[in-house]
Amino acid sequence: MSGMKDRTGEILVNEKIAKDVYKMVVVFDDLPEDIKGAQFAHVKLNDASHLLRRPFCVCDFDKQDRTITMCYAVVGKGTELLSHYKKGDKINVLLPLGNGFTPDKSYKKIVLLGGGMGSAVLPAIATADPQLEYYTYLGFANADKVVLEEELKKVSKQITVATDDGSYGKKGFVTDILAKDMDAIKPDAVFCCGPEVMYKALRRALEGFNVPIIVSLEARMGCGIGACLVCNCKVKRNGKEEYARVCIEGPVFKLDEVVL
Amino acid sequence: MSNLKVNVAGVEFKNPIITASGTFGFGREYDRFYNIDVLGGLCTKGLTLKPRQGNPYPRIAESPSGMLNSVGLQNPGVDHYLATDDILLSKRDVIVIANVAGSCIEDYIAIAEKMNDSKADMIELNISCPNVKEGGMAFGVLPKNVEAVTAAVKKACKNKPVITKLSPNVSCIADNARAAEQGGADGISLINTLAGMAVNYKTKKPILFNNTGGVSGACVKPIALKMVWDCFNAVKIPIIGLGGITSYTDVLEFMICGARAVEIGTHNFTQPLGAKDIVEDLTKYVEENDIDVNDLVGSLILNA
Repeated sequence: MSGMKDRTGEILVNEKIAKDVYKMVVVFDDLPEDIKGAQFAHVKLNDASHLLRRPFCVCDFDKQDRTITMCYAVVGKGTELLSHYKKGDKINVLLPLGNGFTPDKSYKKIVLLGGGMGSAVLPAIATADPQLEYYTYLGFANADKVVLEEELKKVSKQITVATDDGSYGKKGFVTDILAKDMDAIKPDAVFCCGPEVMYKALRRALEGFNVPIIVSLEARMGCGIGACLVCNCKVKRNGKEEYARVCIEGPVFKLDEVVL
Repeated sequence: MSNLKVNVAGVEFKNPIITASGTFGFGREYDRFYNIDVLGGLCTKGLTLKPRQGNPYPRIAESPSGMLNSVGLQNPGVDHYLATDDILLSKRDVIVIANVAGSCIEDYIAIAEKMNDSKADMIELNISCPNVKEGGMAFGVLPKNVEAVTAAVKKACKNKPVITKLSPNVSCIADNARAAEQGGADGISLINTLAGMAVNYKTKKPILFNNTGGVSGACVKPIALKMVWDCFNAVKIPIIGLGGITSYTDVLEFMICGARAVEIGTHNFTQPLGAKDIVEDLTKYVEENDIDVNDLVGSLILNA
């Protein structure tokens, strides 16, 4: 994380891409060389009454253009305020934070699995390691919630979209759909970002496949750099359950070690 | 002649800016943003006799111009500290204040005895953590307990000044300041966080797993200023003021109300360079206006 610092960026795009979901593109004077997939940006709002920064995954980045893209759902007052920011507005962003995803050198094929807004983590993984073959599975509650299908289609060898109610794509839980395709794909690893309930379902669905499952967790955060100890998640290490900091020891963990 | 140096309980600080316990770890994370030697001092994360896991998630919630936390004193334990960060920090050009907490008087005595071997410059006695069920806070409410725990720690820790950190969740903080002084405290720091709640109206549940937490941030500053002033008028020992400081002008206000030095807490979360910026801004102000910060302490001019 040598390139980590507080950067001032200028908003190029802040537009609605689905119901309550926005895409923001920010340009900086410089972008760190070492930025990778599944890292996050800690965004300061231009309003002192909301003093905590908001952590958003870096949905995608472009080193040449010095831009990052963030996709966020409007879920509270902070994201509501953010959704009104205009092109040309300046924002402060601590970037890049978190361990990110470093694919093993032996990997050739990776399944990217996204649940709802968790899908926003996936494009940057393909950007960071374009030499790998990606098989993408996205699950959403319904057609209104579908995001990033086009972006991910471009970088995937194959893409499958499912909705719980069948209003778009295949009907059913995307974890079950993936499980049926596993023998055909034979991926070297599965990378998943979604809600906790999805990780539980994934653990069940892929039991017996003997494939590394890597997940990206989210948490309410304070400092974002490992000092304040509020973004704790429970992990099992050396047979012992203990707390890890999502911001600095994560957000990427092996699903095996996460206590759900 | 302009001057930023302050002396708190016999310990000289190159400037009055200290980072507050629980907001700065042991300095390592922020040292990646700036050289922490620019600070006057650093308070460590609260240390306990045994390692503590702390409270389950969620531990943080936002409130207008503030936040609540309920970390619950997660820390690696005092022995781990003595073997690692204590040594690393002693090599830095910054005053180190080890914050210690316990859940019974025996704990406080035992940890104070261990601190005799620490290279830290001072001890900050945490008797006001609102996030640990079995203790801390219990010692911080009644004046007789404040006095007793301070006296016990003073007796056990022979080679360092002891600063008693006071809770604002009391009926009269000046009484507790006097009790700490009576117990032999070399100084007091205030305020710790204010007990509070954040509630989700949809689920009807508190946001924090621990149900309640400690409120901090800019919203507590007026309360802290008044309490510092109250304590300044109650005791002779030096006061370290904290609560919602986000700028050098806030620092000046705390010193005018009676603080000899100040701690920066929640602001570190919003601005990782915040404490460093405050040191720089304060330095500039003091030089431009040819001020000795010591002349500010308690210089408040009340309206008639």
